[in-house]
Amino acid sequence: MKILLVGEGAREHAIADALAKSVHEPRIFAVMKLKNPGITRICEKTRGEVRLGDSTDPAFVASVAEELSTDFIFIGPEEPQFHGVADKVEENGIPCVGARRGPSEIEMSKAFMRRLMWKYKIPGRLRFMAFKDIDEAIAYIEEYAESIALKPARQAGGKGVKVIADLQAYLKKEKEEVKKKHVKSIVEEHMRPYADIEDRILIEQKVEGPEYTLQCFTDGRVVKPLPLVQDNKNAYEMDIGPETGGMGSISGPGETLPFISEEEYKESVEIVSQTVRAIEREVGEAYKGVIAGQMMLTALWGPTIIEFYSRFGDPEAVNVLPLLETDLVEISEAIISQSLNKVKLEFRNSATVVKCVAPRGYPNRRDLAKGHPMVVDEDRIVEAGGRVFYGSIDLKNGEMVTGGSRAVEVFAEAETIPAASEIAERCASFVNLKDGWKLFHRSDIGTEALLNERIEAAELIREIYRYRREKNLIGKQIDWLPGKGRIEYEF
Amino acid sequence: MSKERCGVIGIYAFDENWNVARFIYYGLVALQNRGQETCGMAVFDGKNMKVIKGRGLAENFFTSKNLEEARGWAGIGHVSPLNPRRDENIQPVYIGDDVKVALGYNGRILNHKELMEGKFESEEDAIAVASLLAKELRRSDPLEAMESVMEKMRGAYSLVAFTDKGEMVVARDPKGVKPLVIGSFGFDHGAVASESAAIDVIGADLKADIKPGEIYAINQYSIERKNAFKDKERYCAFEYVYLCRPDSVINGRSVYDVRIRIGEYLAEEFPVDADVVIGVPETAIPFAMAYSNATGIPIHMGFVRSGRSMRTAIRPTQFERLVGVQLKLNPIRQAIRGKRVVLIDDSVVRGTTTRNIVNIMRNRIGAKEVHVRIGSSRLISPCPFGVEVPEKDELIAAHLTEDEVSKVVGADTFAWLSLEGMVKATGFPRDKLCMGCFTGEYPYLEEGA
Repeated sequence: MKILLVGEGAREHAIADALAKSVHEPRIFAVMKLKNPGITRICEKTRGEVRLGDSTDPAFVASVAEELSTDFIFIGPEEPQFHGVADKVEENGIPCVGARRGPSEIEMSKAFMRRLMWKYKIPGRLRFMAFKDIDEAIAYIEEYAESIALKPARQAGGKGVKVIADLQAYLKKEKEEVKKKHVKSIVEEHMRPYADIEDRILIEQKVEGPEYTLQCFTDGRVVKPLPLVQDNKNAYEMDIGPETGGMGSISGPGETLPFISEEEYKESVEIVSQTVRAIEREVGEAYKGVIAGQMMLTALWGPTIIEFYSRFGDPEAVNVLPLLETDLVEISEAIISQSLNKVKLEFRNSATVVKCVAPRGYPNRRDLAKGHPMVVDEDRIVEAGGRVFYGSIDLKNGEMVTGGSRAVEVFAEAETIPAASEIAERCASFVNLKDGWKLFHRSDIGTEALLNERIEAAELIREIYRYRREKNLIGKQIDWLPGKGRIEYEF
Repeated sequence: MSKERCGVIGIYAFDENWNVARFIYYGLVALQNRGQETCGMAVFDGKNMKVIKGRGLAENFFTSKNLEEARGWAGIGHVSPLNPRRDENIQPVYIGDDVKVALGYNGRILNHKELMEGKFESEEDAIAVASLLAKELRRSDPLEAMESVMEKMRGAYSLVAFTDKGEMVVARDPKGVKPLVIGSFGFDHGAVASESAAIDVIGADLKADIKPGEIYAINQYSIERKNAFKDKERYCAFEYVYLCRPDSVINGRSVYDVRIRIGEYLAEEFPVDADVVIGVPETAIPFAMAYSNATGIPIHMGFVRSGRSMRTAIRPTQFERLVGVQLKLNPIRQAIRGKRVVLIDDSVVRGTTTRNIVNIMRNRIGAKEVHVRIGSSRLISPCPFGVEVPEKDELIAAHLTEDEVSKVVGADTFAWLSLEGMVKATGFPRDKLCMGCFTGEYPYLEEGA
C-alpha cells in the first residue's frame, strides 16, 4: 500500500507517524515545501520517498500521486485544500482524505463560515460584519466603539487577527486608531496575496472565555470526535505577548479537558456535526477528511465557534494522534468509502502536553528566527519519556536549519497534565541551536497553576451562560434605547 | 525627612500601531496615591524617546497637547511625592551616550553615591542608577546589564527602565520590599506597575507579581526573565496598611482583604461599648466596616470629602496639612451628635490630624464619647526605603503611651493595633515582612552589607 502525505509541519509528522503504525504497513511518500526531518525519516523507514515542491499546487501533487500510483493521499494543511489539491487528485481516480475545495470554504472564508452558521441557525454563532473595502470597515469602526475581533476575511496562515477589548471610554480613541490601522494592514498586507475570495475584512463581536479545540474525522455522514485539546496562543509565559500559531497544548485524560464538562463536550460535537451537514447542503459535496472547531466557552452560548479548521490543528494534532489506537489507515479508508460509522475510535486514556520550541524572533520577527542550525538530542528526549515532532525545520545537506516558525514540538504523555508538563519541560531542554541564538518555549503550559486558572475562568463563564439559558436569553440580546424602546436582537 | 514613595508603570505594545501615551497617563492617574508632586513619562516610537515630565498631579500636568507629542508604542511613567530642585532629576530621568536609558523607580538606593564614585548629589539617585545601567548596556545585553547593576545596588526598589534601543528592563529588589506586578492586554501589550489597580485601569489583566530579585527584559521579539537574586522576601507591611489602593493585589494578596482583617483584629483587641463606628476617609473605611461587622456596632458615614483625594501625610507644611484635613473632611452631624463614637483611622504620625478630627467631633458637633482606634501599629521609626515616615522626633508613637496620646488628641480611649494583629492581618509570617517603621529593624541595613 502506498500513501502520499501532503504537508511539511509537525502536524504532518504526527499524521505520518500514525499512518506508519498501521498493520497494513503502508509505504509513506510525502510532498513537502521544506524537507521536514521527521517526515523524511518515516518515508525512508517505510520505503517511501520525499518529493520537494509546492505542496499547494494541485497539478504538482496530482502528478506525484499518479506517478507513484498511491492508494490515497492525505492532506495535512489547509492551503492545498483551498487550492483544490483534493479535487485535482480525485479527478485522476485517486481518493483523498482532506477537504475538497468546496467544503474547505469553512476554513478559507471566515464570512462563509459565519453566514453558514446563521443560515442554518447553528448554535455557538457570533454577530459579524464582512467588508469588501477599507472605507466601509473604517466607517463602521468609527460608528461603533465595541470590543471586536478584526480578521482577514480569508484564512491567512493564522496571521492578521486582532482582538481588541474596548471597555474604557477614556482609551477609546487609542483603540479606534489601532482598529483603523489594522483594517488597513489586513487589506494591504495580510489579504494582499489572496484574490480567491471577495470579502476582505471580517469584524466579529469579541467574546471571552477559555478556548479549546475539537478535532473530528468526518466522512460527510458521521462525525467522529477526537479528545479535546487546548492550545495556548500567547507567545510568552503567563499568557503575555503576541499571538502565535500556538505555543503548546494540553489534552486529557479522557475525551474532555479538566475545565470542559461532558455536556459541553457533547454540545460541541453537535455543533460540528450540524456544520458538516450544513456544508454539504450548501456546497453540494460531502466533507471527507478532518474538521476542527476552534471553540470557546462563552457567556453568550456556552460552547461557541471562534473559527473552523478544515484540518487538524497544529500543535493540537500532536497531542492526540500519538494516542490513537485505531488504525489510521483504516480510518482513512472508512472516510473515503463513507463508512466511518463502522469505525470505533480508540485512544489511550492519557493526559498529554505538547510544547513548541521556537527560535527567538518568532512570531513577529521571523527573519531573525530563520536560518539557525539546530540540534535535537532525541535519545535524551526518549529517555526522559517524551517524543519529538519536527515543525518549521529544513534539512539542508544533512543539517537541520530553522525555518522561522515553531521548530520543534515535544510531546509527553502521563497520567495527569501537570505530570506530562514536567516531562515535556525536560524534553524541551534537549533542543538547542548551534550558533548561540536563543530558543524559547512556554514552561507554564500544563502546569497546575495555569490549569487552575482555566478551570476558574470556565466556572465563571459557566455560571453566566447557565443564567442566560434559564432566562431564555441564549441566541438573543435584549436592549433598551431611549426613543426606541425595547429591542431584541436574534442571533 | 525622606519623602520618596513613588509609583512606576511600563507598557510595551508588541504591535507598533499602538500609541501607549494615554495608557501610561491613565496608569499614572491610577497610581497618583503614591506621589503627587511630580509626574512624567518617557515614550518610545522606534526611533525617538520623548520624555515629558513636570510638577503637580498627572491630571494637571498632562494635557491633550503634551500627550499628543508623546506618541510611541512603548514607554514608562513615574509619579513621586518628592520635589527635586532641578527639573532633570524628575523621574523618569533620561541619560546615556551610546545607549540612552530612561528610568524611574520606587524605593531608595542606599548606596547610590558609591555607585558612581560620589559624583552625584542626593537627589540624583535615579540619574546614578540610569547612568550605571547605560554604561553596563554598552557591553552586555539588558538582562545581564541589569543583573550587574543590581549586584552593586543596595536598597529597596521597583524599577522600570527603557532604552533607546527599544528594550524595557524591569527589576525588583532581592527582598521584594517594594511591590511590582505584571499584566497583559490580550495579544497586544505587556504592562508592569507598582500596583495592580493601575493594570486594571488601563484595561489589562493582572498576571503575576514580579518576584523579589527578578529581572525582566522585554523587546519586540522576546520576554526574558531571570530570578537573579533570590533572597528571603521582606514585603513592606505599610503598603498594606496605608500606601496601596484597596483595589490592588500585591504579593498575591488583596490589600482590601488585609484591611478587612485589620478591622477585625482591632475589634478583637480593643472592643468598646459605643453607638456608632466612623471611619476616616478613605484608607480607614474598610477597617471601620470590618470593626462594625465584628462588634455589631452600626457603621455610619461620618465625613464627606471636598475636592480631590489628597494624602494628608504628604502635604508639605503643617499649615497645609491642617487645611488639607479641614477642606477634605466635612462631618455629617446627624451621624455623630450625642453618640458614643468609635473613630477609626489609618495611622497617627504627629497626632495633629487626629486631634483636629476629634476636636471637630467633640467640640463642634457634640459627640458624647470618642474612642480612637488606629488600623496600624505604632509608627516609631522613619523609613530608609523611601516611605513617607517622618524622623523619630516627629513621631508621637515613639514618645508617648496610648493613655497620653488619648489626652493629647482629646479622645476617651486610644489604641493602636498590636504588632501581632497587624502581622496576622497581612497573612504573611513576620519574617517575610519589612516592619521597619513599626520596629526600627530594617532589612538590607541589618546585614550591613
